[in-house]
Amino acid sequence: MSEKVVTPTAGSGSRLPTWLHPSNAGVVYAFAALVVVLSIATASTGRPSYVSPTNVSNILDQTALLGILVVTTTIVLISGNFDLSVGSVAAFGAATCLGLMPSLGFYGAFAVALLAGAGIGLFNGVVVQYVGINAFIVTLGTLTAVRGLVLIITDGRTVTVPEGADRDALRALDGSRWVTPNLYLLAGIGLLALAAWRVWRAQRAGTSWRLPRVLVPAVLGVALLAASPAMVFTVRLSQRAVYMLVLVVLAAWVLRYTTVGRRLYATGGNAEAARLSGVAVDRYRVMAFVLNGTAAAFVGVLYASRLGSINPTGLNGFELTALAAAILGGTSLFGGLGSVAKSLVGALILVTLANGFNVLNLGANYQGLIEGVVLIVAAGMYTIALRRKQRVSLRTVDPTTKPVTTGHPTDAPELTPAGAGAERS
Amino acid sequence: MTTGAAGEVLLELRAVTKSFPNGTTALRGVDLVVRRGSVHGLVGANGAGKSTLIKCVSGVQPVSTGSIHWAGEECSWSSPGDAQAAGLATIHQHVPLVPTLSALENVFLWRRGPWRSTPQMRVEFDRLVERLGYEIDPDVQVASLPIGTRQMIAILQALALGAELVIMDEPTASLSEAERRIVLDAVRRLAADGTTFVFISHFLDEILEITDHVTVLRDGRALLDEPTATLDEGRLVQAIAGRELLAVERAGGAGSRTGDVLLDVTGIGTRTGVRDVSLHVRAGEIVGLAGLLGSGRSEILDAIFGADRSATGEVTVAGRPVGRSPRAAVKAGFAYVPEDRVQQGLHPAEPLWKNISLPDLGRLSLRRLLPQEQEERALAARAIDELGIVASGPDALPSELSGGNAQKVVFAKWLYADKPVWLLDEPTAGVDVGAKAEILQLVRRLASEGKAIVLACSDFDELLSVATRVLVVRGGRIAHDLDAQQVTEEELIMLAHGLGAGTGEVVHV
Repeated sequence: MSEKVVTPTAGSGSRLPTWLHPSNAGVVYAFAALVVVLSIATASTGRPSYVSPTNVSNILDQTALLGILVVTTTIVLISGNFDLSVGSVAAFGAATCLGLMPSLGFYGAFAVALLAGAGIGLFNGVVVQYVGINAFIVTLGTLTAVRGLVLIITDGRTVTVPEGADRDALRALDGSRWVTPNLYLLAGIGLLALAAWRVWRAQRAGTSWRLPRVLVPAVLGVALLAASPAMVFTVRLSQRAVYMLVLVVLAAWVLRYTTVGRRLYATGGNAEAARLSGVAVDRYRVMAFVLNGTAAAFVGVLYASRLGSINPTGLNGFELTALAAAILGGTSLFGGLGSVAKSLVGALILVTLANGFNVLNLGANYQGLIEGVVLIVAAGMYTIALRRKQRVSLRTVDPTTKPVTTGHPTDAPELTPAGAGAERS
Repeated sequence: MTTGAAGEVLLELRAVTKSFPNGTTALRGVDLVVRRGSVHGLVGANGAGKSTLIKCVSGVQPVSTGSIHWAGEECSWSSPGDAQAAGLATIHQHVPLVPTLSALENVFLWRRGPWRSTPQMRVEFDRLVERLGYEIDPDVQVASLPIGTRQMIAILQALALGAELVIMDEPTASLSEAERRIVLDAVRRLAADGTTFVFISHFLDEILEITDHVTVLRDGRALLDEPTATLDEGRLVQAIAGRELLAVERAGGAGSRTGDVLLDVTGIGTRTGVRDVSLHVRAGEIVGLAGLLGSGRSEILDAIFGADRSATGEVTVAGRPVGRSPRAAVKAGFAYVPEDRVQQGLHPAEPLWKNISLPDLGRLSLRRLLPQEQEERALAARAIDELGIVASGPDALPSELSGGNAQKVVFAKWLYADKPVWLLDEPTAGVDVGAKAEILQLVRRLASEGKAIVLACSDFDELLSVATRVLVVRGGRIAHDLDAQQVTEEELIMLAHGLGAGTGEVVHV
């Protein structure tokens, strides 16, 4: 059972699972701290609660576009590459879609926009992987060139969709709202399911289940269920927030549980070793770019759908926000390390900061300064945590430990230390 | 240079221990006396405590108990800079020079002042070069120099700092025979001139040849500490391994010459200089590629495996043609143990079980999509057990392992995937004596299981101990095809240098 394997790098005294360790989940704690601070600030100034259903709905909605992009940006970073072009590609996707709608109708134009995004991603990937130019340079080039392309096709003017069926179709892409059931109820059911699953798994494995590991979620679950008629917390999810959540869950699953994810991490962690182990490194990296381009075009169309128009300078600098969110989430710029869920939390931090400034009515002038400081502090904390981890891992080697080969003579007769001279045929 | 008579004690360690906060003890009371003007050999298996000892002496880490005395006085260096100021320089295996600067600039890198180079530096450079006895162009860019010459520049750097004691950590590990000679000659010359050396090496012949005194470390203790004159290779090996290790034997019977041809290579060529290489390997055969550094032996393996994109030619496994990419090669049944295990063989940040399952991930996964982690861990545990990998478990990281154990992990990646053709590029480089014997034994076992094996190795003695046939590689071509039973190490060395049999002298190229 995976949870029973204690990795040597985990702190000795702590009983937290590894994924909850501060060095692994720092961004989650930082986000929680930020929310607590903002809640206290709003409460003490007599404003409505910060974590009210309305505000939570708002934050999720405001995070959606960034959240979609940060997922694919994280995938590119994990593969060991870098993509600066997504802001321009998003604007290009929107401009293509809106520009072609009069002639192709919404769905045709939408498909062309996505294909165009994928095409730019493919271009990035092929030039980086097969020509061998540094990704930073290539995507800096496409960032500039694609923005130029947007200016050309829009002639520098804002493109607006005239009222009509096409505009309705565009609106429908991001039109509906979905009100969640009571989240306390859902959490209660989830906790009970967790307890049941732990019992089931222990019984299947034939081991006795540890009482607190079952009892704690069970009791909490029952308590939440009992309280749920009185405590109600529902969130109105906008359609774009649903897109984001679905994409995050899907990407997290693929990265964590499939061979595709494993090979992607292997590619970013050590491309040469992965290649020599038979992983199609080039294809994985190109595909990451293609995904990122497609997602960018999709984000661009979503952005335009609510406004009904696209400004040729729209979404300028969006790629840097996405990168900042990914870095906040602990994604390494050198590849092989990162998680889309944590990157999403990074995006939530950036959005919450901005939202908090609005709610508290603090001048927006401070926002950039604070965001920049938060980014550097976060990156510094990751670097220090990583360094400490490496130091610990150096110490865990005990040179006095002896190989245990002799204990299994039937398994490896030739490989026992004395075997060097034993086989003299 | 400060004054001091040759033979007086320059560096002394008294009962030095080093333990780490997690309870690991790397040094358990080491006494060591290094005398001025001597070359002091330090040998030991990987993980014996050599690196920790060096770190303590050079001020990187403090000792736990015991004391270090420099020129008679107890010292407490808290940083490598302190040690350097006192006259102790350390040259690491991977020479940290600035590749974009010139040799001159690198030698005087530490010197403060407004100018990149001054005429005075040039004069000093010439004087140092003369002491070293090896000509280096001061204006040549370091990036363009072979690694042996970089070692020389590192030595110059140490001398320019006024170092009285130079610690060299495996200076010859990645050098060709000719470069090795140059480094050894320089050490000998400087030692005669009064500089003291602590010389760490896995090559025991080197240790016996060049040192005056040898200390063998094992499990953090100095087990043997004697003048070199009283030692021989057998005693050293015994002390290092802690057990009677028979010298690698000629196990000619290990390979078969009658199996079916498994690997057939025709007309391989690359842009890196391999030309028209054809070879075939039968099931159960171990074909050795013998060649000097830069002869093209690694390039041939790269080309066969498809790792070199520019490679042309045809490769078939059991009669079926193989596509020209590592992916196709792995699918076709190749196992590849690359030359540089850290850069090319392992994912240092991933646990052992993920490393081991990577080449065979598809087969270990449900519908080739969902990896079965329990099975992967079980596989890693089995590999740790069977190959005797010293690690805390399947979750250990490769970066925690010593060279020999890391190399076994690279073998484990392919061992359970049932690959019929194995390409091994320097599988025993940077591996201690005990692990080396185990790895060679593993290679023999693979052959006896009917695998076809191509083995490139710069230690010809070792190559001959396992190979069935030896192909001498020179200038990117196969120059000779020999039966391993009928050739001696000396003959191989001569053939690899392009000399006919008969002359006893090996020319430095």
